[in-house]
Amino acid sequence: MSLEELAFLALAAVALFTAVAALLVRELVHTILWIAVFFVDISAIYFLLEAPFLGVLQLGVYAGAVTVLLLFGVMLTRKRIFSREAVTGIGAVPLALAVVTFIFAITAVGQLPQSDQPVRSYDPALLSQNLFTTNGPWLLLLGLLMMGAVAGAIYLVREGRE
Amino acid sequence: MTALPLVGFVALSSALLAIGLFGILTRRNFILVLIAIEIAMNAAILNFVYFGAFAGGTGGLSGQAIAVVLIGFAATEVAVGLAIVLALNRLKGTINVAQATDLRF
Repeated sequence: MSLEELAFLALAAVALFTAVAALLVRELVHTILWIAVFFVDISAIYFLLEAPFLGVLQLGVYAGAVTVLLLFGVMLTRKRIFSREAVTGIGAVPLALAVVTFIFAITAVGQLPQSDQPVRSYDPALLSQNLFTTNGPWLLLLGLLMMGAVAGAIYLVREGRE
Repeated sequence: MTALPLVGFVALSSALLAIGLFGILTRRNFILVLIAIEIAMNAAILNFVYFGAFAGGTGGLSGQAIAVVLIGFAATEVAVGLAIVLALNRLKGTINVAQATDLRF
């Protein structure tokens, strides 16, 4: 087993553990700490896949901005931020649905062509060129969406609404 | 670098999608539901990067470009989601999704 495979297995195990822990711990602040570890771990997977630009973006946007935003959400909606969640049961139906989804998604692998090509690395300059030419419309769409989202978020939280 | 098996990557993102779906269905706190959506969204973004990387040619580049755009979409979604959380908290005094029933028949 190569070093990359070992690294991937370790990172995948940490990702699964932190995702489950984030959803099952009872203190919301601990959830956010676990999810921060999850985001950093996904960023390490991007570095493993030779996508350093995405890894840095994941660290900045997810591990940085989204985590802090979620923490603000917790701080603004409760009086004592360390108060615990009421216990909610695991629920047989959602668990069964999740397992069925997993089996459904994983059986698609049998149909995929198996590639033994090594993962190629690209120059970030090529990626930015692609973002402004071939995939330019998507970037434009993202800009428009963000503008709309800012207006919508301000409308939702402004004072004195009926 | 040596070739990594695609099966492992697809298994990881399938499992993360299942965990996210489970969280969306079972958690009652709006912020936890948002976090579960983020887990599922990360699984989807990872898929673009792996399948692009394994496609060969310039597929990897397009996969990474779409992933950049999707990370932006996910961040936008969290911002609007938290605005909804704050509005819900002001209207109802709670962020329990089971009590947000104003649009129900």
